[in-house]
Amino acid sequence: MKLLTVELESPLPDVPPPTVGEQWVLVRLHREPLGLLHFTRHGCTAAQLARLIADRFGHRILTHLVADALAGGASVSLESPAADCPRLRPMTLPSLTVAVCTRDGAARLSECLDGLAALEYPGGHLDRLVVDNAPRDDGARRVVERYPSIRYVVEPLAGLDRARNRAIVEARGEIIAFTDDDVSVDGLWAEAIGRLFASEPDVDTVTGLVVADEIDVEPQRLFERYGGFSRGFDRQYFRVDTASGERAARRHVGAGRFGTGANMAFRRRLFDRIGLFDPALDVGTPTNGGGDLEMFFRVLKEGGTLAYEPSAIVRHRHRRTYDALRTQLANNGIGFYAHLVRTAHHYPDERAGVVRFGAWWFWRWNVTRLARSFVRPGDFPRDLILAELRGCFTGLRRYARAKEQAARAASLDAQPPTASTANGAIT
Amino acid sequence: MSATTDWPIAIRTVDLARPLHPLTGVSTYSRVRVFISDGPTLLGSVDMWSRGAPTISTTRLRDAIAARVAAPLFTRRLVDRLVADEPPEAIMPATRVSIIVPTCDRPDDLRRCLASLVAQRTRHDVEIVVVDNRPSCDAARSVAGQFPSVRLVTESRPGLSFARNTGIARASGTIIVATDDDVVAPETWIETLVEPFARPDVMAVTGHVLPLELETEAQCRFEAYGGLGKGFQPFEVNGDWFRNRRTAVPTWLIGATANAAFRAAIFADPDIGLMDEALGAGTPTGCSEDTYVFYRILKAGHTIAYEPSAYVWHRHRASMESLRSQIYAYSKGHVAYHLMTWLADGDRRALVRLFYSLPKTYARRAWQRIRRHSDYPLSLILLEVLGNLAGPYALWRSKRRARRLGLSERLPLESAHAVSMEGPVAQGPAAQPAVAPLARPAR
Repeated sequence: MKLLTVELESPLPDVPPPTVGEQWVLVRLHREPLGLLHFTRHGCTAAQLARLIADRFGHRILTHLVADALAGGASVSLESPAADCPRLRPMTLPSLTVAVCTRDGAARLSECLDGLAALEYPGGHLDRLVVDNAPRDDGARRVVERYPSIRYVVEPLAGLDRARNRAIVEARGEIIAFTDDDVSVDGLWAEAIGRLFASEPDVDTVTGLVVADEIDVEPQRLFERYGGFSRGFDRQYFRVDTASGERAARRHVGAGRFGTGANMAFRRRLFDRIGLFDPALDVGTPTNGGGDLEMFFRVLKEGGTLAYEPSAIVRHRHRRTYDALRTQLANNGIGFYAHLVRTAHHYPDERAGVVRFGAWWFWRWNVTRLARSFVRPGDFPRDLILAELRGCFTGLRRYARAKEQAARAASLDAQPPTASTANGAIT
Repeated sequence: MSATTDWPIAIRTVDLARPLHPLTGVSTYSRVRVFISDGPTLLGSVDMWSRGAPTISTTRLRDAIAARVAAPLFTRRLVDRLVADEPPEAIMPATRVSIIVPTCDRPDDLRRCLASLVAQRTRHDVEIVVVDNRPSCDAARSVAGQFPSVRLVTESRPGLSFARNTGIARASGTIIVATDDDVVAPETWIETLVEPFARPDVMAVTGHVLPLELETEAQCRFEAYGGLGKGFQPFEVNGDWFRNRRTAVPTWLIGATANAAFRAAIFADPDIGLMDEALGAGTPTGCSEDTYVFYRILKAGHTIAYEPSAYVWHRHRASMESLRSQIYAYSKGHVAYHLMTWLADGDRRALVRLFYSLPKTYARRAWQRIRRHSDYPLSLILLEVLGNLAGPYALWRSKRRARRLGLSERLPLESAHAVSMEGPVAQGPAAQPAVAPLARPAR
């Protein structure tokens, strides 16, 4: 079933029993997500839903109202919560470029672009961009042509990180927000990101909430059981005190908890300081992932601040087939360990911490889950665990190969990414 | 291996009645501790890391505060609404309040303390008595001279209890407020601290003690050790609480004389009396004169109220060396206090504490440290144990020393009478003369 969104300001709906898969309900107050409710077999009436929400999210609602009152400037009154959230008052937002990187994604692109075209961004300028990565046909281009507000750019060299770098070069906004072609963005996604950057001058990177768009088939349920993309409903901030010598790798090299490439945004000037995405990483190269994680870690390592903003929501369509899920999990292993190899090479001072984390994670995540799968085989399919575990070893070798390939491709192309319309950009 | 430490910690205050502002100037601190009040009411504190960032934004601050105070704020509002129809409680009538500030050659601290005391905004008639416990040195006299409204009294017998008792004997207030010279008080302090005396059964009030600064390892460790504050939740204890416990009464959880107020009458009461001069800072026992007074008050059946909103700021010792000697003194004094309750009051619960619960506590804390569930150093735990072992001898020496120097005379009962007559006059049936609570409750 498709995700159902419930806003507490409007009357609550009945939740019908799911006809296929599971029904997930995202509960929001003043646009801020409070949490998810899951209905596996039965639905519920509006009254039951109200009780459930009060029970599960009561404290969160109270906290939200107190924060509203604090933002309202008046002394805190809980008797009459503001009808509109004082934290959502109009403000000037920085110009923002939304970039979707796609590869042979014509079939799934239109749902994504519908959401993109419908994005609201009051109080600032929004620029929408699709980067087509090494396209084999003009399918994506034809889809984009249907949307006059969206620009189309080609990155001829294969690799998601190359496409991201192209987007950075082509972007016109101060902020650049990335998403993938297999998501639909929430209408307020861009605004939530813009607001956070506007009110937090120290923040360089923002990640947001990724929820499952649908839970229809078993592989999708398994992916959520695996951990999904969800990083919770609390706004969080991450930073490393590099000035006083704190080591970043100890706590932060496993950058998956910051978020994912399907929902991340950066100040564009940050890349002048810390460099672009590593073209040897992520999908389209032998490493098959890790480009986003490596960037998150680099932001912290270079003294930047990363914020997780749950109000910036995108809905992700998980893989529908078991084989695709297994490939995805194997790539998680490969990409993560490729990122560790890259980071250990790049930051010799962090090497000890990276190695220690890599070993610890292998033991704590892969080996422990494998062992548990013998005790409780029903928890999670063993072949998926093994696929990721094998991926870890593969990932250790892949980075060197990917780097070599990337260097060769770049020298053949002999044209580093620069701002141009020559690569087939249409406006 | 980590170069980062858990100190220094910046201290900031936020009043919810005023608009929030970003916290600035925090880049050199590892954390910021924000104390949150709603008008004069202290609600709690929240720690936020800064990790070298120059500011903490309003958004972040607001999120953290909302998460911390949502529940206590809601509880308070609910209580306000539930009692909205009740007649208001008795208000403490204006009375004479004497603040006793013993000092011992710390002119800078004393100046800061007195500046905050003369700036009190209160209906009460405040008298400030500085007791110079080291009259050979000129410092206190010259500082006190800068404040015309401050009375200076000298006490040459060294010891905090001697000084405090001299101050009490010379004070003219109905309420005696005890504080230290390394304390800074917010301007609503006296008003808030004295308010619970509106109830005739309350004989003493203690308040919260917040850290003025947490700049050094020692100051942060002292705060982690427990500090001097007793939390953000108001409570009160009374004779029932005293009698109904099977183990020793934990009077040390009530507060300390860094921030406490007493009815003057209790010091003339034969059941309570003055501060015990064998206990307290400056004597071999090192501390516990306050806990022993609380003990006697509770034993006599009276009530002690803890009011966190009557808070003061205390500057903790900055060097590790002085932290160690302070913790050692606390441990000595703790055992001395229990011996006192056993020897002078025949309270056998003290023995359970000394020979069972105290060793058990140390074993548990050491075990927690070994399992890395706490970061309180083993060396300090060991120091506390050594202090405990030194306690009995310290008490014996301290007793002899106090007798040699000459004990202070108990205040004459008549003067207590005179004092109490001008005490709070409550309305209605509660309008007993203020000495009435001194009568022993029926057992």
